[in-house]
Formats: sequence, C-alpha cells, structure tokens
Amino acid sequence: MTHIAFREDDLALEVDYVVVGSGAGGATAANALARGGATVALIEAGPWRDPADYPSSTYGAMRDLFDGWGVGIAKGRALWPIVQASCVGGTTVINCAICVRTPEDVLLGWERDLGVGAKAWREGLWKHQEALEVELCAEVVPAASAGRSNLLAAKGAAAVPYDGHPMTRYVKGCAGSGQCLQGCKQLKKQSLNLQFVPEVMALGGTVLSCAPAERVLLEGRRAVGVTGRFREPVTRRKGGRFTVRARKAVVVAASVTRTAPLLAASGVKHPLLGAGFRAHPGTGVIGVYDEDVDMNVGATQGWASVQYRVEPGMKLETLSIPPEMIASRLAGAGAELVARMGDYRRMAMWVVAVRAEAVGRVKRGVFGEVSVDYGFADADMRRLRKGLALLARTHFAAGARRVIPGIYGLPYDLGPDQVGLIEEGPLDPRAYILISSHLFGGATMDRDPARGVCDEYGRVHGYEGLVVADASVIPTTLGVNPQHTIMALARTFAGRLLDA
Amino acid sequence: MVTFYPRSEQFPGIEDMDLDAYIAQYRRECAPLMWAGFVLGTVFFHLTPLFTVYLPLPAYALSDEDRERHAQRLVSHPIYYVRQPVFLLKMVAGLLWGADPAVRARLGLAPYPADPGTWRTS
Repeated sequence: MTHIAFREDDLALEVDYVVVGSGAGGATAANALARGGATVALIEAGPWRDPADYPSSTYGAMRDLFDGWGVGIAKGRALWPIVQASCVGGTTVINCAICVRTPEDVLLGWERDLGVGAKAWREGLWKHQEALEVELCAEVVPAASAGRSNLLAAKGAAAVPYDGHPMTRYVKGCAGSGQCLQGCKQLKKQSLNLQFVPEVMALGGTVLSCAPAERVLLEGRRAVGVTGRFREPVTRRKGGRFTVRARKAVVVAASVTRTAPLLAASGVKHPLLGAGFRAHPGTGVIGVYDEDVDMNVGATQGWASVQYRVEPGMKLETLSIPPEMIASRLAGAGAELVARMGDYRRMAMWVVAVRAEAVGRVKRGVFGEVSVDYGFADADMRRLRKGLALLARTHFAAGARRVIPGIYGLPYDLGPDQVGLIEEGPLDPRAYILISSHLFGGATMDRDPARGVCDEYGRVHGYEGLVVADASVIPTTLGVNPQHTIMALARTFAGRLLDA
Repeated sequence: MVTFYPRSEQFPGIEDMDLDAYIAQYRRECAPLMWAGFVLGTVFFHLTPLFTVYLPLPAYALSDEDRERHAQRLVSHPIYYVRQPVFLLKMVAGLLWGADPAVRARLGLAPYPADPGTWRTS
C-alpha cells in the first residue's frame, strides 16, 4: 500500500495505467483497473483528508475541500460560482451522494444523435450502476434521519400535487447530522476517499496526493505518462517533480473544469476540446414557517422530484445550508439583515436545478484558475422561474407563512397570493444568485471525430492510450445528479481498457 | 464587515468577534484571487458613499447610520457590478459571523468544533 503526499524531492514511477483525478470518475476507473490486475497510479491535485481531518464550518470546507476556495466561476451575463472539490475522493466528499440511474431517454438520445451507446453499451452501463448501488450501499433516506425540511417538502409536493420521493444516496445508515457539504464525519457517506481509493492501494496501486498534474506526456500521438509538481496544500509552495510513466494508458478524470485545459496544455489538438460545457445551474427558495424547521438537523438533501425533468427540464430538491451561508444569501445589510437571520430556525430551503440548454466553453484562466464562458438562454431563465414558483407553491402547501425568493427586484418576502411575481420575475440572470453544479462536457463523446473529442469508451480521437473518464465526456445534460452516471461510465471505459 | 452584521438584541455583532484575527487568517489562507477581490471590494465600499448617501466622505468616516444606509444601497444597487464586490465582502463577513458559537447558540445549534486543517501526510 503506497500513498505519497507532498514531497520535496523528485519522484519517478512506471505503472500500467496512470489515472489523473480521484473523484467519481478517476477513483472508479482506477479501482476497476486495479481489480482487473493492472498496476495503477492515481494522481490527485488536492490532499487526502480523512473524516477526522474534515472541517465543520463552511469557511473550513472552502479552505480545505473546495477547489480553489470555490473561486471558479462561470462567466456570462452573470458570474456564478462553480463548486467542486479538490481532495482525494473529489466532489464525492462534499456532495450529498445522490444516486440516480442514467435515464433511458438520455441514452437513447445519445445513440440517435451521436452514435454513442448502442443497446449492449446501455445495458452494460446500467449493470455497472446496479453493482455500484450494492457496493456503495445505496439507500433511501431513512424517515428517522430525514429531518423536518425534507418531510415538509414531501408534504408540500403531495398537496400541490406532483410526484416527489425520498432520495436514494450512497449513504449507509444516515445519521442526519446535516454535514454532507463539509464531509461526513459520521462515516456514513460512502465517498470514494473511503471506498475505492483505499482498495486501489490494497491492490498494490500507488496514490499521489497534493500532486496537480501539469501535462500528459505524449510521444507523437501516444500518451505515455503524466508529469507535474507536488504542491503543499496550505502554503501552495511547490515541491518536487513527479513523473509517472504509463505502459498502457493515461486516464484523465480531473473534472469538467480541469480535464480539457489539462489536455490542451499537453498539446492534445482537437477543435472541440473545451467546448460543449453544460450544467444544471440552480438556486433556491426559502420558506419561512411558524414552527422551527431546523433544516440543519437531518439529511442535507433528502427529498427530490424528477417529474419535470424532461418537460420543462428541471429537478427539484431540498438543500439545507448552515447559518453562515444563509447570512450572505439573504438580502440587506446591517440591523435589517441581522433581524432577518432571526428567522433561521424557521427556514427551509429547497432548490431547483435547471436542465439548461445553454452551452459554454471551459478554458484555463489567466492565473490558472477554473474559467468557464457560459451564458444562460432566455428559455433557461423561464425554466428557472417556473421551478422557483413551483417551489414557492410547495412551501405554501406545506404550511409556510411566507417565502424568500432571493430575486433582485422582487420584494424580500412574498405571501401565497404573490407567487405570480416569481413567474413574471426578471429574465436577466444577474437578478439571481445561482450556483453552477452538475457540470458536463469539455471533451464530449461522439462516434464522429469531427463532432466529439472522445469515442464511446472515452478514448480521445486520434490519440492512443489516452482516455477521458469523468463528466467531461457527457455530451448532454442528464436532468439528474450525475455521480452515478460518471462512475458507471468510468467502469465501462476501464473495462474496455482491460479487454484491450 | 461590522456594518453588515452589527450587534442586535438577539445576536452578537461581528464587532464582538475577533475580526482582526479572522482577516489575518483569511488573508493567509484564501486563494490570491479571493484576497484581491476582498481588498478591491473594501476599497470600493469606502470610496463610494458619494454615490449612495450623497456624502463626500469615505465610508469609514460616516456615522454608523449613514454607513449602514450606504451598505444597504450598495447591496441592493441596480447595477450588478456594484452589487457583486460588496456581496463578496458580505459573504466573507458572513462566514465569520454565522459560524460564531454565540450566534449558533442563539439559533439552537451546537458550536462547531475547530476545523483541524490536517491531511494525510504519508
């Protein structure tokens, strides 16, 4: 078992496969390759934090777990933060481990439009998902740990009415501690720093942490390794150079915002590299109830509705956030803002994630930071308004006294007869505080090399031994949380590598 | 930052917390771009009262009431690129204020344990 963290001196290794990135895609691919008997090196830019190292506060989470403090932004008419992690296990450490199988209509669309994912491929993907659900203990949120916010959402949806359900998550016996976003210290969430990565090491693999990859090494059109320099997580001081040679292939799974820039910096040429960025941007409506909700008690996310996934294209879900995040989310300043925080215990926040039509481009920022050009289309704004209005109605159906829409230009809070104001709200994205989550694209799959960077097994067109195995390959939005799809794709791609 | 989260009957204000130590820590630990944004936001906040409360003074020289009015007008300003730098200040201040043990206690929440800031080194 070998784990190498930051070090001052240089390091050279040779293995069968080098995997860049230890999130949902990278850890799963490395794990599958190691299980298949290959020697694997897993390279992660961030540090390895165990549950005892996890922070509790949002400040600590931004500092210790988020990629660049969450300073990455999607730039269009508005600036929206991109939240992803930089640590062993990647975003699986800070997400809510929501487990949703890839919808059939999405995969049929890929086959029809892109020539990707024929019947056997699709069925293979779902089979991997079935196996992952068992291995990672996918479980419906138990009623005992759901928490009041999730129960109210279920009640509200039933009264509106529309379909909703308790989420299925990779969480074994949720304790309802409300700390998913800071890493689960209760060891209940099956994040991949606790699952697949240790198994890679147990099977003889090597894990490099604090090791941001700078370049994929190419010899002609063949990928032969990865190089970079260790970086100390606190001071960001650079250490020794690591060079890991790959006898068989390099698998890049550095995240949607990092994979395409890494390939471009390595000299990989494809006109669509970085293109095809898509997302499910989201924002929330806060309901204020007569009784205490205490949204931080119970599962951080425990209820969802996918009834409107296809038409108009949105997902509704609960999301509990701590006071220090609500404090900047509420409008106002000074005594007025502090007085508003007095309602915190009676608040429940539910969010809409829009299955956006907008398409953007991923690139490396001037200072090496995450940078994405991404403008929201009017149709997406209409979806957003519709989703927010539905959430407001759901709050009222669940008994909320008023809702806080958080939309610039609208009153701070609204009563039940004012929901129409949200539906008729501004179409300007700058009026909303959104977060870009569920990212896709940048190195998308397409059977035709002129229309996509990778083929249906993540192999970069025109190159040998170079595979992309994260959400960068996903060519469309899914309308559901992507972790399950990313992991199943990574397993599919790793299986093909082993077969070859 | 004090202007955003002042002391009230219900809550302690950010002035009751160790703000200097927090800013020093934030400066030491945050991404350089975030620090640059924080500094620019602070300068912007101090130089703009003329356009919000129509007083030719920097924000630090205003009375508490005028400074609060200035902050309120900035955070609700119709121009997005006026609101945004101030939003960053408000967010950074909120991370301290909302995580303070006394504030959490008023909200029925246990204090956060210290963030260890550690990682696996071998």
